[in-house]
Amino acid sequence: MKHILKYTFSVLILLVSFNVNSQETGLKDSITTKKDSVVPKKERFGIRFGVDLFKLTRSFYEKEYRGIELVGDFKLTRRHYIAVELGNENKTVDDDRINFTTQGTYIKAGFDFNAYENWLGMENMIYVGLRYGVSSFSQQRNSYEIYNRDSYFGVAPEIIDGEKFSGLSAQWIEVVAGFKAEVYKNIYLGISLRVNRLMSNKKPENFDNLYIPGFNRTYNGDFGVGFNYTVSYFLPLYKTTIKAKEKKK
Amino acid sequence: MKKILLIVLIAFSFSGCEKDDICDEATSTTPKITIEFFSISAPLTSISVVNLRAKVTTIAESVVFDASLPSTNPLRFLSNAKKVSLPLNTFTDNTIYELTLNSGNIATQNTDVVTFNYSKNTVFVSRACGYKITFDLTNTNSNLLTTDTNNWIKDITITKPNIENENETHIKIYF
Repeated sequence: MKHILKYTFSVLILLVSFNVNSQETGLKDSITTKKDSVVPKKERFGIRFGVDLFKLTRSFYEKEYRGIELVGDFKLTRRHYIAVELGNENKTVDDDRINFTTQGTYIKAGFDFNAYENWLGMENMIYVGLRYGVSSFSQQRNSYEIYNRDSYFGVAPEIIDGEKFSGLSAQWIEVVAGFKAEVYKNIYLGISLRVNRLMSNKKPENFDNLYIPGFNRTYNGDFGVGFNYTVSYFLPLYKTTIKAKEKKK
Repeated sequence: MKKILLIVLIAFSFSGCEKDDICDEATSTTPKITIEFFSISAPLTSISVVNLRAKVTTIAESVVFDASLPSTNPLRFLSNAKKVSLPLNTFTDNTIYELTLNSGNIATQNTDVVTFNYSKNTVFVSRACGYKITFDLTNTNSNLLTTDTNNWIKDITITKPNIENENETHIKIYF
């Protein structure tokens, strides 16, 4: 519940920032377009790179978590972006009967499709995308419990273990939906939600990958969910003029 | 636009179920040993025991067969079934049971000692259930029962030495 509140709050902040932005530039645009409605659109192309604020801040307030995720995208066409996320996580999970530490690196690569029709001069995104994720990691089983419904011989104590399973890996497909809004010149805030599906999962012997870096918590099936909250910088590389298509009709 | 909102909503609904980590009753965890009783005169059909009490030598209390009865009711320790399941000690490699037939009837009650020797395996079950222990009986049929002057158990055999779940019979007792 705490998390949901946090997410909702972040979404609200982002939506507000969206509004403010569109009003300011929107007004300017309407003035310029009044002069000449067939002004050719100029579009900037470039690389945007940034960092996941959620993982970064979580590393500070949560003792059991260390993580960073770098994000980047490259504008390929007017609507298509190549997108990459690269991350590293170290997370200790304390479940009722198992305590384990997952450590590893992941990369996700794919594309985003911007479904948002921007006003002239604006570069915000409401997008959907796809990623293919690959993660290489290790699991350390810190402690576990034997489940026995019968207590005739007494309750089994927690077993301190510490066995490490290395050389594990997983691959998955991720469906992404999110927003990116320019909050300051070339600075973007973004939020994205992800639904993942495991394609392959190399499990440790007599244990399971209950957490996979990049994929997050695993459930009984192959599905998982993810989330990021990014701040990024857009580095413009070149501009192209796009002819106003509407005028041809 | 509507599609995107839908995806976002679905994603949120997923994140809501973080803490559903309860070990399901239906999940097979550390099993008990299941014993089925047969008549020595008609060894093909199983029959019910009469007031069977099971107790480990080193533990004061007997195994509870009917937990629905109040703890003051002595009948909760007695079984009149064709099949009973007994817990095995997960801390040691053997469990010695005293099985008493006609328990409570001083004239006819009879106690026999049955020893189970086994090796244990620790097996991963799930996030919610953790691990379980399964057993492999290392007994032979001949060293299960301790012979005394008047055994009520006439014969005892192992039907399944690897004990992984309770839905099957591991031991057959003929009396």
